[in-house]
Amino acid sequence: MSIDSIDDVTELSAIERDALAEIANIGAGRAAANLRQMIGQEVLLSVPGVGIVSRRAASELVERDGVSKLVSVQQSFEGPFAGRALLIFPESQSLELVQSMLGDARPEDVTELQQEALAETGNVILNGCLATIANVLRKTMRMSLPAVFRGDGVTLFEAGRENGNLVLLLYIDFAIRNRDIGGFIALLMDPPSILALKKIVRDLIDGIRRDPACNDV
Amino acid sequence: MMCNGADLDLAPVFDALDIGIVVLDASGGIHAWNDWMTRATGHSRETVLGKNLYEIFADLRNTRLPAAVRDALQVGSSSILTHSLNKLLPLRCPDGQNLLHNIVVRPMPSGRSAHCLLQVTDVTVSVARERILRDRQNARYHAIVDSAPDTIITTSLDRTVQWTNGAAEQVFGYRASELLGQPIDILLNAGTDLSCVFASNTVENSGGSLQTVGLRKGGEPAHFDVSFARWRADERIFVTTIWRDVTERMAADVALRESEARYRALCEALPQLVWTCDPDGTCDYFNPQWQTYTGVPAAEHLGFGWLEVIHSSDREDLQPAWNSALRNGHSFDVDARMRRADGCYRWFNLRAIPVRSSAGKIARWFGTATDITEHIEARDSLRRSNEELEARVAQRTREREVVLGQLHESQKMEIIGQLTGGVAHDFNNLLAVILGSLALLKKTFPNDPRTSRLLEGALQAGERGATLTKRLLAFARRQELKLEAVEVQKLIPDMMDFLRQSIGPSVSIMVDIRPDVQPIKIDANQLELAIMNLAVNARDAMPNGGTLTIACRNETADFSSKPPSALPPGEYVRLSVVDTGEGMSEATRAKAMEPFFTTKGVGKGTGLGLSMVQGLTAQSGGAIDISSQLGKGTAVTLWLPRARHEDRVYVPSEQTAPSAEMANKGLRILLVDDDPLVSMNTTELLMDLGHSVVEAPSASRALEMLESTDEFGVVITDYAMPNMNGLDLAIEIRRIKPDLPIVLATGYADLPPDAAPEFPRLGKPYTQQQLAEAVETALNAPPRGAPAHARRVVAQATPEVN
Repeated sequence: MSIDSIDDVTELSAIERDALAEIANIGAGRAAANLRQMIGQEVLLSVPGVGIVSRRAASELVERDGVSKLVSVQQSFEGPFAGRALLIFPESQSLELVQSMLGDARPEDVTELQQEALAETGNVILNGCLATIANVLRKTMRMSLPAVFRGDGVTLFEAGRENGNLVLLLYIDFAIRNRDIGGFIALLMDPPSILALKKIVRDLIDGIRRDPACNDV
Repeated sequence: MMCNGADLDLAPVFDALDIGIVVLDASGGIHAWNDWMTRATGHSRETVLGKNLYEIFADLRNTRLPAAVRDALQVGSSSILTHSLNKLLPLRCPDGQNLLHNIVVRPMPSGRSAHCLLQVTDVTVSVARERILRDRQNARYHAIVDSAPDTIITTSLDRTVQWTNGAAEQVFGYRASELLGQPIDILLNAGTDLSCVFASNTVENSGGSLQTVGLRKGGEPAHFDVSFARWRADERIFVTTIWRDVTERMAADVALRESEARYRALCEALPQLVWTCDPDGTCDYFNPQWQTYTGVPAAEHLGFGWLEVIHSSDREDLQPAWNSALRNGHSFDVDARMRRADGCYRWFNLRAIPVRSSAGKIARWFGTATDITEHIEARDSLRRSNEELEARVAQRTREREVVLGQLHESQKMEIIGQLTGGVAHDFNNLLAVILGSLALLKKTFPNDPRTSRLLEGALQAGERGATLTKRLLAFARRQELKLEAVEVQKLIPDMMDFLRQSIGPSVSIMVDIRPDVQPIKIDANQLELAIMNLAVNARDAMPNGGTLTIACRNETADFSSKPPSALPPGEYVRLSVVDTGEGMSEATRAKAMEPFFTTKGVGKGTGLGLSMVQGLTAQSGGAIDISSQLGKGTAVTLWLPRARHEDRVYVPSEQTAPSAEMANKGLRILLVDDDPLVSMNTTELLMDLGHSVVEAPSASRALEMLESTDEFGVVITDYAMPNMNGLDLAIEIRRIKPDLPIVLATGYADLPPDAAPEFPRLGKPYTQQQLAEAVETALNAPPRGAPAHARRVVAQATPEVN
């Protein structure tokens, strides 16, 4: 894989941005479908945000409404590009989320089971998202098992700091109707992967341009 | 997994793993199946290899496993399927128990063939361990919270009840199932608020307690002390509230407060002074009445300061009694004087009783002080009045004895008087006869010296006898008194020469007569005689000389002047004759006034002097008082009634003897007397005077004679006669013969001095000359109807010194 010297890791062109947003949207849509299947409630998604931001800016973004205590389920992925997929929500809502997963289980069971249940729930959502993206890009990726982390926004985005301060952040707000649960689905990539992803996206765009049948994707 | 396949057969390793390993192809065909899977499923490798997993375990089609396998093969994703969210393989432990497991799905690392790896992990032990730990913890927890009498409720921060203990049903009446999922507000009375419990969503410093009013299921409000704490579990905040039902305690508190208020109100309403002490006697409460009475702020009396208001003499009794009560626990009851705010002391009954605790120990003392001053005064007054009553009874008894004695004395004197009077009356008549007869005899023998001397001796003896009878009559109060207004301040100086002669030079006389002394109503001659008698008695009491005092002043008989008991109240003149002589014993004094009682030698006194004074005083409406002390002298005091204004008239002296020539000769006289001796003697005297006399023995006989003839020139009648007395006769004669002169002869004062003054009187015994004068007076009397007092003729007695 060659690196285009004129490519800039600090910015995305408008078309790249739109393409990545579309990809994220497709992935999140699959993830939301999986989530809905698990809890039997409609899951609402926002318009995806796409940008290359500092880690601090990213952490401030997820510490919405001043809630700094967060739970995240993370999976890393490798392939043509590498990064981490994160399901982030306020820690206070983690039990509620698990409760939703477990249906009418007793609260104490929820407490006991929440770690496993959170991991599996995150796994389902993130796999859905990542698998969809891989499908769209027609690439194969290896994805790790999920891990559950607790901490503030800075902690969440600390891993990979040795690769630079800037990250590519794809994020989508989600909220579960009838439950006080909401959070983010985020994809985080380091500058090397940004360049790889930009190339893939450009190839994809070029491919689409060559195939008029796919113009409306 | 990096290894050198040529050197090492991996199959035994595969079967030695303690997790299940299954390799599937894209359609679910089984390509590998290790021994762990054989043990857990009961399906041997031989029976499953080449078969489709979903055909062997049909339920897996309904799980997320097929999708996970597909994703692993298509996009390389790894998935975990946990027992918590999935119902996976029907695995069994060696003991037959259900084997809890998670399955991890991974794409095979080779990447060339489309296979994926399933790793089945046994989590039974760790889950069971957690459950045991949790159950054990829960058992402890429930042992505590379910046996707690307090209601324990855990809610989420949105107030939804998450859990309650068993006490909730007993206290509030709701079963746990009725509360779970409900807002806790259904347990709150309207208007009460637990918002501070839920106000914060942090758990820092979140504990606290408050009081609130809760609501039982039936709607009955109840009071609670609520303690609460917020706590965090897995990033969720819970609030646990512990509700202690204090309704009964509050009711008891209210009842206690009411009881204390009642008790205090009672203490403060009592009219008594109320105080309380702790068991060692330190006073800690005084009611307002105490403070009002003593005027001392309660603070100064706390402890033992109150003893200060106890009267010092009573404190000596009170303090030991109080100490003894404190020591022995018996009640305290003492009377003592307590000082009032104004400084005066009143009697109080102080009582205190111990109030004992349930253990029987004295908890405190409750005391009262009741004002009993009026009781005590009433008691003293009753005792005093009893004493007074007794004293008065004794005094009355004494007085009665005195009065009885006086009555006895006066009755005795009265009888003696009557006896004496009667004797004197008859004796007078005899003397009149004797004297009359002697006078006539003397005329018969004018020149015989021997006869003449004998006659003269007989006449003198007869006249002395007449004097004696006069005194007897005076004592008997039956003498003829000529009452007039007498001015003592003139009378006494006139008789001073005579007094000095009678008393002699060894006794000096002092006269102390106030110039304002009022005239007294008395017979002046008799008064002179009485003073003489007293002066002579005084002289005889002072044989070695001394002072005689005659004092006289006005006096009002009332309580203050201590008059003799028999004297009625009124205006008097007090005349005292006081000597400085030897005095009298009480026995002598008591008998001094009896007639014929004398302390003088035989033949020296008649014993009639004081008797005469006493008789005169009594007859004049006065009284006599004798006080004497042996060796100190005697005072005789006469209380004599003052003359009324109408008594103070001028009495012309008619005592000058009329001339013998005035006697008319040859009168025919009717003489009325029931005593034949007297009548005969008087007839002789009248005939000697040249008159003719007709005697009548009774009034009725005299009237008969007067009817039959008009020849009488004068009527002389005795007063004391049976059937019709001389006065009645005289009045009758005046009626039938108004111009006939009448002489009334009286022997003693049967006739009141003021009665019928129009008739000239002739005192018995009378001399011939007196008889002649009386006749003359009657004949010269002015015409009828003229003022009568000018025509009185009274026989005069000379005072006799005895």
